[in-house]
Amino acid sequence: MRKFIAACLCLLTLGACSDTAPKDTFTIVAGSENRDLEPIVQEFCAAQKRECAVTYLGSLDIGLSLSDAEQKYDAVWPAASIWINIFDQDRKVRHLASIAQNPVVLGVREPLARELGWVGRDVSMADIVNAIRDGKLGYVMTSATQSNSGASAYLAMLSAAVTHGDTIRRQDLDDPATTETVRTLLKGIQRSAGSSGWLADLYVASAQRGAGYDGMWNYEVTIRDANNQLRDKGEDLLYAIYPREGVAVADSPLGFVDRTGQSDTEDFFLKLQSHLTSADIQKRIADTGRRLPFGSASNATPQAEPEWNFNPEKLISTIRMPEPDVIRQALDLYQSALRRPSVTAMCLDYSGSMSGEGVQQLREAMTFLLTPEQTKRQLVQWSPQDRIVIIPFDSRPREEFQSTGVEEEQEAMLSAVKNLSAAGGTNLYACATLALKYIDDINSNEEYLPAVVIMSDGKSGGHVDEFLRAWEDSTKPPVFGITFADADERQLDALAEATGGRVFDGRRDLIDAFRSMRGYN
Amino acid sequence: MTLSRRALGGVLIGGAIAGTGAYVALKDNPLLRGLTGNATELKGFVGGEKQPYLANPRVADLLRKQGITLHSTIAGSVEMVRQKSLIDQQPDFLWPSSSVMTEMAKMNGLPVVRDQTILNTPIVIYSWSNIVDGLVANGLVTRTPDGHYEIDTRALIAAIAARTPWKDLGVPSLYGAIRISSTDPNRSNSGFMFAGLVLSALTGSVPDAGDLNAHFNTVKTVFDEMGFKSPSSGKLFDQYIAGGPGSEPMIVGYENQLVEWAQADPKRWERIQSGRGTKPVLIYPRPTVYSAHPLLALGTQATPLIDALLSPELQAIAWTDHGFRGPLGEQTATTLPGLAELLIPEVSATLPLPGAPVMLDLIQRLDS
Repeated sequence: MRKFIAACLCLLTLGACSDTAPKDTFTIVAGSENRDLEPIVQEFCAAQKRECAVTYLGSLDIGLSLSDAEQKYDAVWPAASIWINIFDQDRKVRHLASIAQNPVVLGVREPLARELGWVGRDVSMADIVNAIRDGKLGYVMTSATQSNSGASAYLAMLSAAVTHGDTIRRQDLDDPATTETVRTLLKGIQRSAGSSGWLADLYVASAQRGAGYDGMWNYEVTIRDANNQLRDKGEDLLYAIYPREGVAVADSPLGFVDRTGQSDTEDFFLKLQSHLTSADIQKRIADTGRRLPFGSASNATPQAEPEWNFNPEKLISTIRMPEPDVIRQALDLYQSALRRPSVTAMCLDYSGSMSGEGVQQLREAMTFLLTPEQTKRQLVQWSPQDRIVIIPFDSRPREEFQSTGVEEEQEAMLSAVKNLSAAGGTNLYACATLALKYIDDINSNEEYLPAVVIMSDGKSGGHVDEFLRAWEDSTKPPVFGITFADADERQLDALAEATGGRVFDGRRDLIDAFRSMRGYN
Repeated sequence: MTLSRRALGGVLIGGAIAGTGAYVALKDNPLLRGLTGNATELKGFVGGEKQPYLANPRVADLLRKQGITLHSTIAGSVEMVRQKSLIDQQPDFLWPSSSVMTEMAKMNGLPVVRDQTILNTPIVIYSWSNIVDGLVANGLVTRTPDGHYEIDTRALIAAIAARTPWKDLGVPSLYGAIRISSTDPNRSNSGFMFAGLVLSALTGSVPDAGDLNAHFNTVKTVFDEMGFKSPSSGKLFDQYIAGGPGSEPMIVGYENQLVEWAQADPKRWERIQSGRGTKPVLIYPRPTVYSAHPLLALGTQATPLIDALLSPELQAIAWTDHGFRGPLGEQTATTLPGLAELLIPEVSATLPLPGAPVMLDLIQRLDS
C-alpha cells in the first residue's frame, strides 16, 4: 500500500519523480578473471543510466558471502558454479547463465614441454606425476581453497588419481593410493597465490627476471594473456597441456540475488544478462580469447594459436564434478593435509605507537590465525606439517615464538602472543633479516612453501639494502607486507616487489589481511 | 494494486446491484469475470519447467480472459507436496510434474478437491551428435527408419553399472566410463522420475518393496556415478547446453526442454542444425516414463483453472511454443518445422512409475 501511495504522488509530480529519484547502485561481486570484461558491463550500465559497482573477490569469498544474513550484492559472477552449489544452501541465486567457458589447464614452458615429449601428443596426469617425481617439472598454482583456478586444478588431479577411474566419492579421500598421487602433484607447486591474475603477473615478471618457473596452472584465457606478454618480451611461451583424464571448466555463471525485493532491480539484472549473452557481446567475449557456451547466441570462436596448443575447436574432456559436500571435504583435505607444507615467519610490529587499539587489533588477528575453528571456516587452517615463527619487533627483534600447525601448539603460541605489549621504536628490516635466518634453517631442503610476513604500523628506521643483501644469500622467500595505521606503504612495497611478494592493506580489516596472506603459501 | 482495484470494483458494482443476488452470479461467470477485471487471483506452486509456459504473454492473456490471474512460485515437485514451509503458505493449487505427487499430496493430508493431468512430456536423454554417431555404430543407440534415436533403457543401465568405458562404446574421444547426469531425485522431478524409471526398467513391471531391495544397489550405482546432481531440471539443461559434449555428454531431461530452447531463439537453432559442428540430440529411452503434469486444486476456487488450461487454445500453445503434449500424450497442434523429425508422434513404450511408498523409500535410500 505504501508503494501505491508513492506511485500516486509521483503521478501528481511526474517530472520530479522521474528526474531526481536516485537510482540505487546495482552491485556485482565477481571473480578477478572477469576484470577485463567490466568495461562491457559498465558500458551497458551507462547506457541504462544506472550506476553499477563491481567488487572483485576470490571464489571462496563469493561463496561464503551467500551465507551472510544480509546480502551485499545484487548479482554474483564467480568463476564457476561449484562455489554456488557448495555455499548457496538457501538457493538465493536465481537466473544463472554461463557467460563464457574457461578450462583450467597446465601451461608448461615450451622448450621444457618439448624436452618432456609433450608437444603434439596427449598427456596424462600420470605423465605429469612422473615428471615431478623425476624433478623435471614444477609449476605455480593458486591456493585450491581460496581461488577457483587452484581448486579446479586440484580437483582435476584428484579426479585423475582416484583408483577406480570414476567420479570422486567421499571414501576416495581416505584412499592412500589416491592421496599419495595428489600429494606428489602438489609437491610440484613452486609458488602459490590467492589470485589467478596476480599469479600470472608473477609468472611473467619472474620469467623476465630470469628466475622463471617451469609452468603454471591457470585459466586457458589467462595463459593466453600471459603468452601475449611473454611473446612481446621475447620469453618462452607456455605450451597448454590438457590432461587426458579431463580438466575442470569454469563456466562463469552470472546470477541474480534478490536482496531488495524490487522488481526493477530484477528487470535490470535480466536486461544486463541478455546483453552479455547477446550475439554481439558474445562475439566480443570470444575476441578476448574465451570459449563461448555451446548454446551461445554467437557462433564466434577465439582464434586458434597452434604455437601454444590452443585449439578452441577441439573437444576437451572435462572431469565429472563430485557432490558439493565431497568437494568441501576435498578442500579441507587439501588445506589440512595434502598441500605442500608452509613455513611462515611473521614479523609483528609491537613498537610504542601500537599500544592501545593497535595491540588489541593485532591480538584479534592472531586469535583468528591461531584458532583452528576460525581458520577452518575460511579454509586457511594450518596443517600439522606447517611451521610458524612469530617474531615481535620494535627497534629490534624480540624473542621469537615457534610452533608447528598442531592445534595444541597453536593454542600455546596464541597465549604467549596475547601477553605482548607495545614499546620502543620501529625497525622492520632487522626483524625481516632475522626471519630469513629462521626460514633458511627450517627450509634448507626446500620442503616447505616459504613466506616472510611483515606487519607494520609506521615508518621504519634501518636500511633496506642490508636486508636485500641478506635475501640474495638466502633461499629467497617472498616477502609479504601487511600495512596498518600509519604504515609507510613504500617501504613494504619495495620489499614485496624485490622478492616477488605482495602487500595487503590491513587498515580496514587486519584479520582479513592476514587471512588473504594465508592464501599465498 | 490489483487487489485494491478489485476491491474498488466490488464496491461499485456491488453497490449498483446490491440486494438482487445478481452480482454473485455475474461475478462467477468466467466470461464476465475477465471483462469486469474481477479476476480470481490464485496462488500456487509450480515446477520450474512450466514457468516459461505460464510466463508466455499469450497464456497469461487467455487465462485473464477466462477470469483467472495466477501468482505462481517455482518449487520442486517433491518439495511442494512435502515441505511444511511451502504447505503452510496455503496455496490454492499445486502443479507438480508427476502423477505420483498427487498420491503423495493426498498421503500428506493436503485437501485435494480435484486433480487432473493437464500436460505430459516423456523423460528423454539428451546427448550430442558426435557422441551418438559412435553409440549408433556400436549398437547401444539405434536410429529408427523415420530418423528418431532410441536407447534400450536396460542396456544403458547395464553399461553404466558395468562402468563401460566410452571407448568401448564407440566414443574414443571421451575419457573414462559412460556417464549420464540427472537432477537430484530428492529435490527435482526429472531425477525423481529417472530413479523410478531405472527401478521399473530393472523390474520389468511395477516394482514393489521386494523389487526395490533386489535392484537398489544397481540404481544407487547409476546415481553415484553422476557426481554432482543439479537441484533443478532447468539448471541441468542449461548446463548441458552451455557446457557442450565435453562437459555434459548425456543428461536426463524432458522432451519439451529442447523444443522450448529451440523456440526461444529460432535463428540459433537453424544455425546449429545447418552448421558442421556437433548438435544436441534427443534420445528416447525404451521404455520411458511420462512426466504427467497434474494440477491439484486445493480448494474449489482453483477448479476453473483446470478447465481453462485444458482449453484447445492453451493446449495448442503448450505444444507449439513449449513442447508439452496433451493429457493423453498427444501432440495438440501441428509440429513445428525443423523439430518435427526429432520428435516421435507417439511415445508407445512407457512404464508406470512405482507407487508412492516405493518411490519415497527409493529416494530416501538414495539420499543416505
